[in-house]
Amino acid sequence: MYRRIRLCSNRGGYEAVPEPPQPIDLGLAKARLEAERIPVVDARVMLIVRIEPEVTLSHRGRLLFKTQDPQLAVRAFERLRSIPELPPMEDAPGSEALGG
Amino acid sequence: MARGVMLMSGGIDSPVALHYLLRQGHAMVAVHMDNRPFTDDSPLAKVVDHLAMLREHYRQPIPLYLLPHGPTQITLMRSTDRHFGCVLCRRFMWRSAEQIALREGATFLATGEALGQVASQTLSNMRSATASVHLPIVRPLIGFDKQEIERVAKSIDTYAISTRPGVCCQAVPDKPATRSNLIQILKEEERIDVDGMIDEVVRKAVIL
Repeated sequence: MYRRIRLCSNRGGYEAVPEPPQPIDLGLAKARLEAERIPVVDARVMLIVRIEPEVTLSHRGRLLFKTQDPQLAVRAFERLRSIPELPPMEDAPGSEALGG
Repeated sequence: MARGVMLMSGGIDSPVALHYLLRQGHAMVAVHMDNRPFTDDSPLAKVVDHLAMLREHYRQPIPLYLLPHGPTQITLMRSTDRHFGCVLCRRFMWRSAEQIALREGATFLATGEALGQVASQTLSNMRSATASVHLPIVRPLIGFDKQEIERVAKSIDTYAISTRPGVCCQAVPDKPATRSNLIQILKEEERIDVDGMIDEVVRKAVIL
């Protein structure tokens, strides 16, 4: 389960990390994203999802949103969540899901 | 004085190393390996600003070569053992920089590496990484500790640029090897077309 979307360690983006870690079937996720006509770069242990903002999805379920705008990160999370069937967010994403 | 090629990452160390080489009077060319999509635009922006600062300070041109490194990372991630990702990545950086040095008539390569700061900067990893090139490699900061480097970075006004927010490299493996031997590394490289990849990187180089 994702608990929150927080600023990453280098402050250049936002991340969501499932707790406990939840392996993602990247092959399946890629197929689902491509079926939605979302461009994906497959780097074997991660997918780079070409939406706005760009998102990295790791095989351990970590999502990295390449934006410094938390609302854009939440919006991207919402868009992605249902497509590759990611684990749920503890609270409905929104400002309350954001952590420091 | 000599002409050299400096690998610039956007971090704290490389502009400090470049500062020392410029201070000695060397003519330097900068190379930045563009790691997108495994980073964002921030490393390149930082390198551009570092060079602007140092060009002004030393009143000399420092050409910047931008080389695409993301496709190389993708190939490495798909086809080689993730454990050795950092060493393999460094070997491609060195080889690409050496090609630029040959083009520029440079006689040495340089980096901001300091011993033991990160996983890729152990002696055995440095040896495995640099065995891929023939030009001498200069490391002005090799014996510096982090505090010393930061102090100099602040004094030359590059520290604030280096510490701006940015997405760190997503291609770094979860558990990078801190020890490697060349036989293992060469075996990994047998799985990929090293020369073809380097040619492609250098062919797509952009001078800024």
